[in-house]
Amino acid sequence: MIRILLADDHTLVRRGVRLILEQEADLSVVAEAADGAEAVQRVRDTQVDLVVLDIAMPRMTGLQAAAEIAQRRDPPKILMLSMHDNEQYFFGALKAGASGYVLKSVADEDLVGACRSAMRGETFLYPGAESTLVRDYLDRLRRGERVPTSVLTAREDQVIKLIAEGRSSREIARDLHIALKTVEGHRANILGKLGMRDRVELTRYAIRAGLIEP
Amino acid sequence: MRLPSHLPLFWTVCLINGVVFVVGALVLVFSPASVSADPVPSELVVIGLGLVVMILTNALLIRWALAPLQRLITRLEGIDNLAPTRLPEEGSGPVRGIAESVNGLMLRLAEERRAGDARALSAQEAERHRIAQELHDEVGQSLTVVLLGLKQVESQAPASLVPELAAVRESARAGLDDVRRVARRLRPGVLEDLGLASALAALATDFADHSAASVRRSFAPGLPPLSAEAEVVVYRVAQEALTNAARHADAQEVELSLQKLGDSVVLEVRDDGRGFDGLAEGSGLMGMRERAALVRAELSVISRPRHGTTVRLKVPVGVES
Repeated sequence: MIRILLADDHTLVRRGVRLILEQEADLSVVAEAADGAEAVQRVRDTQVDLVVLDIAMPRMTGLQAAAEIAQRRDPPKILMLSMHDNEQYFFGALKAGASGYVLKSVADEDLVGACRSAMRGETFLYPGAESTLVRDYLDRLRRGERVPTSVLTAREDQVIKLIAEGRSSREIARDLHIALKTVEGHRANILGKLGMRDRVELTRYAIRAGLIEP
Repeated sequence: MRLPSHLPLFWTVCLINGVVFVVGALVLVFSPASVSADPVPSELVVIGLGLVVMILTNALLIRWALAPLQRLITRLEGIDNLAPTRLPEEGSGPVRGIAESVNGLMLRLAEERRAGDARALSAQEAERHRIAQELHDEVGQSLTVVLLGLKQVESQAPASLVPELAAVRESARAGLDDVRRVARRLRPGVLEDLGLASALAALATDFADHSAASVRRSFAPGLPPLSAEAEVVVYRVAQEALTNAARHADAQEVELSLQKLGDSVVLEVRDDGRGFDGLAEGSGLMGMRERAALVRAELSVISRPRHGTTVRLKVPVGVES
């Protein structure tokens, strides 16, 4: 059973998220908080495995709270929930120690999956950030800059261009006439080859690429 | 010849008249001419001629004395509302006085206008901020609740209702995306939350997403902090410059940089696009200039046809407007 702390300043949003999470048998919301400071306090006094933080909260923002929670010894996994479709917030969240970033407008589809990948120790890549990273990589390659080169297969080369155009896995699968699972596999391989597999690698790459401030 | 500069106009005219009368009287006294008690025609002719000479001299002298005033009037009519120039403080007495006070007046008006622009722009920013905030906090959250609620209902609804519910849920999602997009255009939350460099980086990403050109960005680390107002100005100028590059310039590559130069922070947006001749770019440039003036920043736009455009904004650090 995964014990979850849910922090959002809107009671109704909290309720909606809780309902979505608790449809899953292995997820259970054991505590709620209405702002960042309260979330930090709950983490101190409640045993949780995963913290879902809204990024914009009064008193202490989600990013500040994440940074503080991540400092703890043996911290719980952290997922950010956000209105902002903006890779800067995503990287900000990674820097603060979160392992995933879920847009509220796709929370109904992605949140449960993101919780599971966070618990597996994977980074839940927000799609916008992925295409930004990949596009930046291709731009550098085209300009002849030194980039971590590793040989992509012909198929991966097709997939990376479609990712750079911001296509979803579903669209890529349809365009290339391959299974959705295969596309997901290619995506994971590509990111691995480019050195963007996990939170730490991704953050390092984004800083080196100048996409975010160190 | 120059009249003493402190002489009022009234006395200048009196002086000229006086001098002409005295000269006339002296000529009458010292010349052999005389007027009999019963004037003969030749005497009348001489007096007439003398009078004509005196009136002409007087007119010419007064015209000469008033000429600077006439020039001043012409210059005043020619003053450009948008780019007021200082009047030359020349001439004598009243004319110099008028030029000086008009210059003073124009300076005060310019200052007043700057303050007015500043008020209007900051009111506009504040209003945008408020609307964006409300969109995010009220409308956005309500739509999120709807979205999550529909998902929940869908999981318990009879199969016949599921496609309909899914369609409604997609509408809610589209609404949420719209709200987010509008709020973001109104006011970049990232500027307050994550700072100027992040906001510019996001702008660059956004630009790359929506245009064919690629963006190269370089932000110097450890830039001195700017006031919140100056940051908004830098952001809006970069936004406008990028919009121009995308919309009019047909650029292949755009460079966006933020550097420190002495006591200033310098934003530069350089494209390799079409460029333009003269400042025929419409209101965009004027808006940038107005904003730059708010924080006493210098804006320069260098553009040549077919050689791209460079917009450069130099913001002094630590200036409160």
